[in-house]
Amino acid sequence: MTQNPNTNAETFESACESLFGSGILGEMQRTGRAFFESKRGKNSFEDETGREVLDWFNGAGIYNLGRRNAELADALKQAAHETDQGNFPMISMEKAALAEALARFLPGDLECSVFSVVRGEALEFACKVARGATGRRKLLSLEGAWHGQTGFALSLSTRADATLYGPLIPETQALSPDTQQAFLDAIDTQTAAVIVEPIQVENHCRALDPEWLGKLQKRCRNMGALLIVDETQTGFGRSGEKFAFLESGLEPDVLILGEALGGGMFPIAATVITQEVNRFMNEHPMIHLSTFGGSDIGCRVALKALELYESEKPWDKARDAGCFLEKDLEDLQKKHAKTLLSVQGSGGVFSLEFADEAAADEFVRRAAQEGILLTTGEVAKNTVVLRPPLNLDESERKRAIDMLDTVFDTMKTGKETE
Amino acid sequence: MTNSQHAGSLPSTMTQEEKKSLVERFMKYVNRGQVRYLRAGHLDVVETRRSGVRFVDPLPGRPMFDCFSSAGCFNVGRGNPEIIEALDRAADELDMGEWNLLSAEKVAFARKLIDLAPGDLNRILFAAGGGDAVDAAMKMARGATGKSRILSTVKAYHGHTGFALSANGKEHYRNYCEPLMPGFDFVPFNDLEAMKNAVDDDTAAIVVEPVQGEAGIFVGSDEYLQGLREICNDSGILLIFDEIQTGFGRTGKLFACQWSGVVPDILTVAKSLGGGVYPNASVLYRGDGPLGAFVDAHPRFHPSATGGSDLGCRVSSAVLDFIVEHRLWENAEQRGKRFREALLELKRQNPKIIKDVRGIGLMVGIEYIHEFLGPMMADALAKHGVFAAYSGNAPQVMRFMAPITISEEELEELIDAIGLALRDMKTLLPLALPAAKIPALLQLLNSETVQTRLFGALRSVEDVFKALTDPFKGSRS
Repeated sequence: MTQNPNTNAETFESACESLFGSGILGEMQRTGRAFFESKRGKNSFEDETGREVLDWFNGAGIYNLGRRNAELADALKQAAHETDQGNFPMISMEKAALAEALARFLPGDLECSVFSVVRGEALEFACKVARGATGRRKLLSLEGAWHGQTGFALSLSTRADATLYGPLIPETQALSPDTQQAFLDAIDTQTAAVIVEPIQVENHCRALDPEWLGKLQKRCRNMGALLIVDETQTGFGRSGEKFAFLESGLEPDVLILGEALGGGMFPIAATVITQEVNRFMNEHPMIHLSTFGGSDIGCRVALKALELYESEKPWDKARDAGCFLEKDLEDLQKKHAKTLLSVQGSGGVFSLEFADEAAADEFVRRAAQEGILLTTGEVAKNTVVLRPPLNLDESERKRAIDMLDTVFDTMKTGKETE
Repeated sequence: MTNSQHAGSLPSTMTQEEKKSLVERFMKYVNRGQVRYLRAGHLDVVETRRSGVRFVDPLPGRPMFDCFSSAGCFNVGRGNPEIIEALDRAADELDMGEWNLLSAEKVAFARKLIDLAPGDLNRILFAAGGGDAVDAAMKMARGATGKSRILSTVKAYHGHTGFALSANGKEHYRNYCEPLMPGFDFVPFNDLEAMKNAVDDDTAAIVVEPVQGEAGIFVGSDEYLQGLREICNDSGILLIFDEIQTGFGRTGKLFACQWSGVVPDILTVAKSLGGGVYPNASVLYRGDGPLGAFVDAHPRFHPSATGGSDLGCRVSSAVLDFIVEHRLWENAEQRGKRFREALLELKRQNPKIIKDVRGIGLMVGIEYIHEFLGPMMADALAKHGVFAAYSGNAPQVMRFMAPITISEEELEELIDAIGLALRDMKTLLPLALPAAKIPALLQLLNSETVQTRLFGALRSVEDVFKALTDPFKGSRS
């Protein structure tokens, strides 16, 4: 039987079941998450009993500046006293300032921003503007992709439950990158855009071959199709680079940024496009609106976050820490080779492969009980994703690795954590 | 009930040069076309200080009544000190939290909202914003019924994400994004017979706004909404109410559906739930029956990376407390009644301009005789300190959705300002109305592109004239 780390389990269970349902309660219990997240630490949090839990989920790539970053909190507080979300269609100083700062922060011709409140919404806009700007309909993604929960995102992701939601967006197709030439051939003059994650985090951190990505870029250019890069999970240093696409030399026409933009203090995401793509939006300015996207308060918080990203360069720290972490994980793999089949990833995102979904679930549950929050992969369900803090220091790393080591041991013995 | 001005360091004025520089940056890094569009209707104002029912347009430093309220986000007033205080305190302890965990903040907010929810809606799913909530609602409906058709209404507005856009009843938003999801059909609003005829065995859900907002403020009659409930009950169809604009007191009840007594199976809320400061949205649904069974079987069907954040839940809890404590829906009903009476009087005085006044609570629409009068009137209103936007789905209709904290005195000031704007319009009409009698010219004037160019050009001429005659040009006023 699953042991619950929560000393006040009745309260959690009754609250969770009555408000969110027995399925969600079951899910929480099955994955060791049947507790309340309470006090925040730098790279961890406490549950309601004061037990510390290391956060190696980090909102799937949101907390790249640490949990409750004090400078972002101050920026939020100040903004809340001086402004509010603003009327969404209006000209705003904050929107202009953030969009300009993003243009400087990003390489190449990515100069114009459309803001969203969540990653899925940023992707929806990317797909819509691609269709609009090219006058074409076909949208291609890669098998193993995970782009979000909303309509276009769902249509372009690889998920077993997609058939439950009826007929989705037509002329969207996920192709296998394994048959490389066939994929390239599928990009034709009817293709509006190809959307890629440079690293498929939910699919065992599968990194795409840079050489093939170069060919993909070239084929898109030749066919007049746009290249959309989804950096929701990998951006702002998570991959060990400022952005993962930089490593492969891609030049996206459309870039999707996740909520790392708000550093976990404000929900804000963005779709950044070139002036060329924005010509369409200049002609049709009011066809995509977002009430909460680009809130004036959110823009202020994100501006501060960009300043911190520039000064702290968490990608440098993640790359360094990632090298040590990679070595530690390889050692763990050798030690627990029967359970841990493979390790992939770099910088601040790694994936552990298990024999099956049940083993991955068990690992996540035991890890949570041991005091480290992890999740299973959404696409490769037999994997566990590690998203450590990007400013991980040696002692924290060793502590976490010890915990993971213990979890592998207890999986072998079947002994539950007290 | 006016909120006191909060202490901000923002300037209340701006020079022409500062505004020009801002607009140029906005055009370069955000959108040039948007500025052109806004400029045509004198909506190209900047907001600096925000307080209660107004914000300050820093050029020329004029307080403006906010009658748009970001399409109904500012129910508790702008810069509401109690809400800011809640956010300020929350930011001392919290961040957004982990979206795959629960917290005391999430539970407290969820319980508070469910306690206030209409009828037996007893479960909640967090969402990031309106579109995310609508997409979740439709996934839930299709998933729970195993059916694919979703019946929406003509001119409906549900958002811009994939499902929501597929249910959007205006081609303007859909055209360039097609093909969208199959299985969505559009039935005339307030037409029960048409809905009955549209239903078939593959219908999963009917989705309506109890009061169509973006379409131009059309109130769903009690008979219509009750009839929809019956159709759904008889045919095993789920009823989804989109109360993203109408929720939380706007119409004179906490939820608009409470006027008709109809309880939907799924209710989406967003906008004003965030108190104008911090995004949050939710899907309320009936846990007993197919919806609960579906979510129980598929608990991860729609997690939201930012919906129901800990900071958001603290803010939303404070918003709900404020609304309940001040019984804001009552203020919306009383002020709304007086507002509509006053507007009807203005209609009687201006039959060549105003065709109709309609609405419920403080969700009020003025329909003008011609589409082109929407942008002209927006311009006239702005000159008298009123910011009001015409509907995206119907430019001849102007929505008035002031914060529902508006006091009696503030409302009278607003009514006076609208009267003055109409007086100004009368001086322009001898030019515009004869032109409107020529069908080809009317068609041109009613085209969005022509309006944008023509009224934009007129604004430019006006600015040049102002600059020539204003001895203080360039200095702070």
